[in-house]
Amino acid sequence: MRVTVEQIGREQEEEVVVRCHDPGAVWVGQVAEAASGQRTVCGWREDGMHRLRLAEILYFEVVDDRSFCYTQGAVYEAKEKLYEFERLCAGSSLFRCSKSMILNADRIDYVRPSLSGRFEAVLSNGEKVIVSRKYVADLKRMLGVHEA
Amino acid sequence: MKTIALWVRRYIMVYGIIMLCTFLMCLLFNPAAELPVVAFFGRIMVFALIALLSLAVYHAKEELSARAWWVRTVLHLLVLEAALLPLAHHWGFWQGGTDILVYAGFILLAKVLWHLADYSLNVRTAAQINEKIRNNRLSRNTRKD
Repeated sequence: MRVTVEQIGREQEEEVVVRCHDPGAVWVGQVAEAASGQRTVCGWREDGMHRLRLAEILYFEVVDDRSFCYTQGAVYEAKEKLYEFERLCAGSSLFRCSKSMILNADRIDYVRPSLSGRFEAVLSNGEKVIVSRKYVADLKRMLGVHEA
Repeated sequence: MKTIALWVRRYIMVYGIIMLCTFLMCLLFNPAAELPVVAFFGRIMVFALIALLSLAVYHAKEELSARAWWVRTVLHLLVLEAALLPLAHHWGFWQGGTDILVYAGFILLAKVLWHLADYSLNVRTAAQINEKIRNNRLSRNTRKD
């Protein structure tokens, strides 16, 4: 495979463009993870501000107009609104999973359907979150699931 | 475009379920009746449209909780019965006291069928997603080793 590295000026935004046959291929995920892993958001707790890498966030949720980032063992308040956070994690493994939540696909253990037409995602820490059917297509695309 | 395709697919699904239920009802209770084909299909189209429009009861600004979903599902059934029963009576799909119970039962059956069809599609989708998650994890672990 050919690898092209182009040096750009400081005034330009850095980006990674992957041209591939299968967007669901493992190496594509690893490139995206490496690129998005460099991105960080600020989260606040009682002990002050913390810089959180996107890769360590389980999900981002808005409750009563307040935003929260959930990691494996802690909850941080964030300043971003849902759409701002969604824009920030474009191209990463985080995706919009419901009207008020953005979920990290890499932290999903498994999903199961519920009678209400939605899906329940069980995360790596055992927590369960709802994935609306509207956004399941995004998860499938992200994972590289192709329609039969 | 995707939203339109989704609603067209839903419309066809509802149309099929209602047609099947109405056809079965005619077959069971009035097998000698002659169905005016064009009018029959036209009426089923109207029924399907009403059934789809009634899905508006599920609309909510926030994500519905499981309890809220069940409440709205019961409400949706009531809306369906209230809208479809008088119309079906007007078009002669049911006449007497027993008929109305059976027809109401068929509407309930159609709704249950809809949810079951929906659920079975979701089971398939979940299986596809889980398989991909498993494969990704496996290849990640293999690389680590």
